[in-house]
Amino acid sequence: MLVKRLGWLLVALAGAAAWAVLALHRGETINAAWVVLAAVGTYLLAYRFYSRFLAMRVLGVNDRRATPAERLANGRDFVPTSRWVLFGHHFAAIAGAGPLVGPVLAAQFGYLPGTIWLVFGVVLGGAVQDFIILFGSMRRDGKSLGQMAKEETGPVTGLLAMVAVLAIMVILLAVLALVVVNALKDSPWGVFTILCTIPIAVLMGFWMKVWRPGRTLEASAFGVALLLMALVGGRYVAESPAVAPYFTHSGLTIAYGMIAYGFLASVLPVWMLLCPRDYLSTFMKIGTILLLAVGILLVLPPLKLPAVTQFVDGTGPVFAGKLFPFAFITIACGAISGFHALVASGTTPKMLMKESDARLIGYGGMLMESFVAVMALCAAALLDPGIYFAINAPLTTLGGNVQSAAEVIRGWGFTVTPAQIDALAASVGEKSLLGRTGGAPSLAVGMAHIFSSAFGQGLMALWYHFAIMFEALFILTTVDTGTRVGRFMLQELAGQVWRPLGRTSWYPSSVLASALVVAGWGYFLVQGVLDPLGGINSLWPLFGISNQLLASVALCVGTTLIIKSGKARFAWVTLLPLSWLLVATLTAGWQKVFADDPRLGFLAHAASVADGITGGAVTAAIGTRLIFNDRLDAVVTILFMVITVLVVLSSAREWVLILTRRKPAQAKETPFVETAYAG
Amino acid sequence: MRVSGAAGQRGSGAVLERLASLLRAISGMPDYQAYIEHLRRSHPGKGIPSEREYYAEYLRMRYEDGPTRCC
Repeated sequence: MLVKRLGWLLVALAGAAAWAVLALHRGETINAAWVVLAAVGTYLLAYRFYSRFLAMRVLGVNDRRATPAERLANGRDFVPTSRWVLFGHHFAAIAGAGPLVGPVLAAQFGYLPGTIWLVFGVVLGGAVQDFIILFGSMRRDGKSLGQMAKEETGPVTGLLAMVAVLAIMVILLAVLALVVVNALKDSPWGVFTILCTIPIAVLMGFWMKVWRPGRTLEASAFGVALLLMALVGGRYVAESPAVAPYFTHSGLTIAYGMIAYGFLASVLPVWMLLCPRDYLSTFMKIGTILLLAVGILLVLPPLKLPAVTQFVDGTGPVFAGKLFPFAFITIACGAISGFHALVASGTTPKMLMKESDARLIGYGGMLMESFVAVMALCAAALLDPGIYFAINAPLTTLGGNVQSAAEVIRGWGFTVTPAQIDALAASVGEKSLLGRTGGAPSLAVGMAHIFSSAFGQGLMALWYHFAIMFEALFILTTVDTGTRVGRFMLQELAGQVWRPLGRTSWYPSSVLASALVVAGWGYFLVQGVLDPLGGINSLWPLFGISNQLLASVALCVGTTLIIKSGKARFAWVTLLPLSWLLVATLTAGWQKVFADDPRLGFLAHAASVADGITGGAVTAAIGTRLIFNDRLDAVVTILFMVITVLVVLSSAREWVLILTRRKPAQAKETPFVETAYAG
Repeated sequence: MRVSGAAGQRGSGAVLERLASLLRAISGMPDYQAYIEHLRRSHPGKGIPSEREYYAEYLRMRYEDGPTRCC
């Protein structure tokens, strides 16, 4: 007992010491070890003490109560699963591109703000949200977030939550697709590798469905091997003057290709394309994240980015806006992600063997995701700041060539020579890395640094393209599964207007709904590609705002669940992160719409473009399109804000009714059944 | 339980089978052996579907029921 207490004291001291070093350190570089130590120390303490408090006092987990997996066991979706296996399953489902890209973009503020938000945001916000929603769904036989919102707060809230999810999906898919476009444009190696995943997936699909039904692991091993061959083969494609042109495409061509792909993946049978790609991307994802963790721990790279840059004042080139509120919406997924509430209320709650396992899987799984985001931040921060900005600032800001770029970056106070930028591009097998916004390329350069120092010098180019392939592969998996999910949601909504439209098996309805969803995100994607500032500038904040607002909706539902279970005195565990999110996100939304600075505010930008048309600086055709998009972005932002405020208000009304005893505190949980497991 | 396909086996084959079960569970793949064990145990009277039928049913359930993957 004493030894245990001493052990935890040691963890606390080590974590505190690491934070002190991060806060007080002055000098050129700082070792990534301090970031990792501060993060892991905080996670361990939070898991041991805070998540235990949540489990025991707030939620009241009860291992004598049978879980849905036990009561409804059917060998398919309701399957009692041992907790570490389920931890892996849940982590694979929640980890995506968000936690990798967000921290890389937010690195324009320096490494410290991102680290602090990732670590404290997750222990007080993200992990709490995931845990409570997972627990609530488990107590309700695996109901979805939307269903819980509907049953506990009323049908209007449920409908609003559904519309919000659909709108967020459209923005999410557009911005993720844009990240891939920016990583693949004019890159024959990357395009070749990613194109190869399509025939590989179809081959795997036939294997699993037709030739050797159900042999999924066999087919996946074969698919991964083929994929690695395609990666190596990509180099020869890129170096061959005869073949390379077939795979060298502009951003616009790639964008249209992705739109066509998303549509096909949504209307083709799932076994042919979607499911095999899902497996491929899961294995690549888990493998690469493990590899990255081992690499970072082996190399412990020095971080060259300053702790805090001058761009906290809002003048940063990667995206506009000050540290508050924009750091808190740019880093969405690694700290708190509303999207997780959808996954935490889907498959995982149907597989929990014991109620207490929800703590490890919900809270612990999200800590793990935050750690992935911290690693991504380290990978970006180990780059020379000059290189980081050369890759992440828009081409128009950098002036279009390496000489002008070096000049502009020198103006920001970071040194980089044109030769350095060229040499780096050559070393990773690309013509140019200048202005490749979206975060994926700079993350890939950082990862390639780590991998080549840890596992093999001189393979920079191969590791870079490995990292690009890994990011693009699972972003595309999000794009195709997301399009399909969006299609089902749209059909469900449309079915309330005219019943046949709601039948997901009716082909015309499926095609129509798929086309509408693809057209939705495709429109934002194409406009992003055409945007003179590279699109990430305006779309990423829109995505961040929408994801954080979805988290607010989830935290509202969480608060309702806590209050209805008679634990109102503990409601601060969700109200605290909820208030912070609302303040940060509504401020960000307001500034994006109404700020006077045309770099920041959509409406101010539209006005400045209008001036440009009158003054002759912008042609009328381009200008009109830009103005329309600015206004559209403004409307979408306002829509998200209004929906969220409505959900908060209708939830708050419910809370007041219960607290003033005008309504009984009665959660709609499935009744207690004693477990048959030995205790 | 998912990780039960190896019940009764011993040796390196069992280790491999356990690893396979783990990979299947993590990536959300179907586990036919575990399913028919469940059927035999809990619903002895019911017919057992072929692996092909089971896979088709699994696909339908996995992809027609909300998001399974995050951003």
